[in-house]
Amino acid sequence: MANRFQLPDLGIGLGLRTKHYSTILEQKPQLDWFEILSENYLRTEGRPLDFLEQIAEAYPLVMHGVSLSIGSSDPLDRQYLSELKALRDRVGARWVSDHLCWTGVAGKNTHDLLPMPYTEEALKHVVDRVRAVQDFLGAPLALENPSSYAEFSGNSMSEWEFLGRLAELADCALLLDVNNVYVSSKNHGFDPLTYLNAIPYDRVVQVHVAGHTDHGTHIIDSHIGPVIDSVWQLLATVYRRCDGVPVLLEWDAEIPSFEETHAEALRAREYIGSAP
Amino acid sequence: MNREATADALGLHERASATPEHAESKRKIMVGSAPAWTEAELGLRAQQEWFAAIVSTPQDEPAPVDEHSAARLITPSATLSSLERLDIYRRGYHARLIECLVDDYPVLQHALGEETFERVCRGYIARHPSRAPSLNYFGQHMAEFCAGAALEQPQFAADLAKLEWAIVLCIHAPTSTVVGFEDLGRVPPERFPAARFSVNPSLRIVHLAYPANAYLQAYRQGQPSPLPPAVQPTSVAVYRTGRSVWRLELEPTMVTLVESLGNGATLEAGLAQVQASLLHLPEQEIAKKISHCFQHSVSSGLFSAISL
Repeated sequence: MANRFQLPDLGIGLGLRTKHYSTILEQKPQLDWFEILSENYLRTEGRPLDFLEQIAEAYPLVMHGVSLSIGSSDPLDRQYLSELKALRDRVGARWVSDHLCWTGVAGKNTHDLLPMPYTEEALKHVVDRVRAVQDFLGAPLALENPSSYAEFSGNSMSEWEFLGRLAELADCALLLDVNNVYVSSKNHGFDPLTYLNAIPYDRVVQVHVAGHTDHGTHIIDSHIGPVIDSVWQLLATVYRRCDGVPVLLEWDAEIPSFEETHAEALRAREYIGSAP
Repeated sequence: MNREATADALGLHERASATPEHAESKRKIMVGSAPAWTEAELGLRAQQEWFAAIVSTPQDEPAPVDEHSAARLITPSATLSSLERLDIYRRGYHARLIECLVDDYPVLQHALGEETFERVCRGYIARHPSRAPSLNYFGQHMAEFCAGAALEQPQFAADLAKLEWAIVLCIHAPTSTVVGFEDLGRVPPERFPAARFSVNPSLRIVHLAYPANAYLQAYRQGQPSPLPPAVQPTSVAVYRTGRSVWRLELEPTMVTLVESLGNGATLEAGLAQVQASLLHLPEQEIAKKISHCFQHSVSSGLFSAISL
């Protein structure tokens, strides 16, 4: 099923990381698309943008942010939104995504993806803000389910119910991170298939896969190492329900060579290729 | 005078949605006293303020909440208590920001040693929490912070920080054209006196009390300098041409000329200021020095445009 926003299936992509810049610029390797971390290219006029503009000439780009703080009780940062929009237009990004989370309050930014309380109050708050952001951007915003390590005792619904209702009420897109579903399922003790069964797949415009670190008592979403088989299996499940969705590998710690990272991303073919 | 290209990073903080792996720690959580609130049914704002206060509390201080209070807002998991779950975020907060400061200040970290540098970073994070969506400028107060920190040589640390921060700023500054001798050749000789030279927009002239640039260069070349260094005032131009970042130790005449032209003076006025600073020298020597000063400034790529 194609997504309702008619956003394109870009194929299998990689998160753009500085370690790979020289390989990308010098060798122009075959790759479907890159996802950039939006904040890396904000509030700079120099070398980072020089690199990015060259890469944008050769590859489709998507912007993935970590500071929208859509769930914060602080007012939306209009300057940030303006910068986001300007960057999108400058590099021709196909869409903009961020996370269902908050990153700070009272003007301070923790630069972490902090968990939302899943309550009616929070839902209404986030719906209003997503609508405002989409109006500002003039395009659908894709929100990603985060990994989390803590849950509020006052939650009146599950994360998947919150996410599904949010997507419908705000009419936004979803970036479904199957590694995050796996990490949170272990940290909070739920069945990841219960989560995946509740997702409105016509709103899923992108899927993330990544590695993580299992500490026994809990799992950290470290984006390190290869993707484990259980996460690939979740990708296969998702892909059966939304054929044609772009898949992206995030690798953020102990990043190997471009070739090795890309090879890991291409393993997705084994799982999406088997989708009926 | 050496003009040295730096093999610095790309000027990006590799922001990601990942949680830093070394956020993990075996450190025992210090438990504090219960906060003022008494009910679990707090609104979104109050819950977020409560959560953020815990996350941002320095790790060498007790958590501003006890286990019983934490459990009112955060459910325990099958394997972790409420406080342990919150502590994952607390460690992640500090680890992520320390990583950012390590990226900006690798030489300062080397000079202070990892342990002292981490202590400085924790103090810095408490004093200057991030208020921006991007981490690109999070480290901007480090020199000032070091100058007032309890360190063996706070001024040397501040000088290193000042120099490393100038490198960060120059990476984020706009890329510009560079004026070369062929550009000078196109200027009619009679128009030189009134010509105005724009300085490279990435240029920062850093005035240092200690030889921080020599220390930085030795570090980059794998030749550790002995500490503590003696006082030795220097001025260093940090700037970028294309993708290369340069550090150039400036003679006082070049500082005078570049600062003067940077403030909008004509070439004639700028050179007059240089001349005024050399009046103690024989006339022939003055002419030689002025000529060298201007030529060296041009050949080093310190100017980006000429207005006639």
